[in-house]
Amino acid sequence: MRKLGGLRLSLKTTLVAVSWIPVAVTFNENVCYVAKIEGRSMRPTLNPSDNGHTDWVLLWKWGVKNPTNIRHNDVVLFKSPSNPEKVYCKRVKGVQHDTIRTRHPYPRGLVTIPRSHIWVEGDNAFHTTDSNDFGPISTGLVLGKAVAVVWPPSRWDTKLDQSVGRGDISVRGLEI
Amino acid sequence: MTSTVKLWLNTGSFALRSFCLVHVIHSHFYEFTETRGESMLPTLSATRDYVHASKKYRNGRDCQIGDCIVAVKPTDPYQRVCKRITGMPGDYILIDPSAKEGADLDTQAFDSFIQVPPGHVWLTGDNLSQSLDSRTYNSLPMGLIKGKIVAANDFNKPFWQDGALLGFRRIVNTYLDEV
Repeated sequence: MRKLGGLRLSLKTTLVAVSWIPVAVTFNENVCYVAKIEGRSMRPTLNPSDNGHTDWVLLWKWGVKNPTNIRHNDVVLFKSPSNPEKVYCKRVKGVQHDTIRTRHPYPRGLVTIPRSHIWVEGDNAFHTTDSNDFGPISTGLVLGKAVAVVWPPSRWDTKLDQSVGRGDISVRGLEI
Repeated sequence: MTSTVKLWLNTGSFALRSFCLVHVIHSHFYEFTETRGESMLPTLSATRDYVHASKKYRNGRDCQIGDCIVAVKPTDPYQRVCKRITGMPGDYILIDPSAKEGADLDTQAFDSFIQVPPGHVWLTGDNLSQSLDSRTYNSLPMGLIKGKIVAANDFNKPFWQDGALLGFRRIVNTYLDEV
């Protein structure tokens, strides 16, 4: 009889634990998440050297699809426009309605960002596939904003919000 | 007092878990939701039409030309659009001749094309004259596709008519089925 009671108790505990899984999934998909950064396009900010370890960042997801919540020099993760299963990590260099000076290989010299789109570039200008290849991206593709490095501990003091990369790319209305 | 607090906590936790379960099902497996607007007439009516969307096809997985899909609007991430895929990556699309003002019908109107880039699709509504689609915002990245519409219920119809519950019908792929 006691054995049966223990079985029922453990069954109940399991069921209660399972019922919390959707809560965890919803939280991870909509509020915050820890993501691994791959590749060298964000050097020297993220993955600074080739010594084998990769950076893990805390990703803030709540409200990031709202274009007014995305600011210049935020580091964002987004679905690649050319392959929806791939995730890119780049720095925001232009928000909606900005006019941007582009780089090779973009076909035009100046581009005005459409509504709810952003212009993203990697910090490492020589090894990056960014908006100069695929153009401005819709904020609907943004998965989250990287707010801090959580692993490895030696990189905890990394500042993610500094302006790295090209600095003079935004054009004021009068200069055009 | 403590029992009241406990009751509220229990109710809250149950509500939270149920809400999150429904949310996970809606975003990953299946959604039943209302659509509005004239852009998909006559496939979907302008008001009180509810669609069954399968989320298996999110991110454009296994989507084909002619599929009816739900996607996030590129120019407003909080709005969703329901359109039909009329061009896959690599296809050449004729730029809408009716949008070119003053173009000569024999020479200029049908002379310019764009190619759909990799990972993108070309979307148009079934009601071309009342639809805001890829002709305005260009091809749409597959990452914005949220699901494929597999069936619809029309709540304007009576509860039971011609063997269909509330105007139930399957939404078929008009391109593949006609060939």
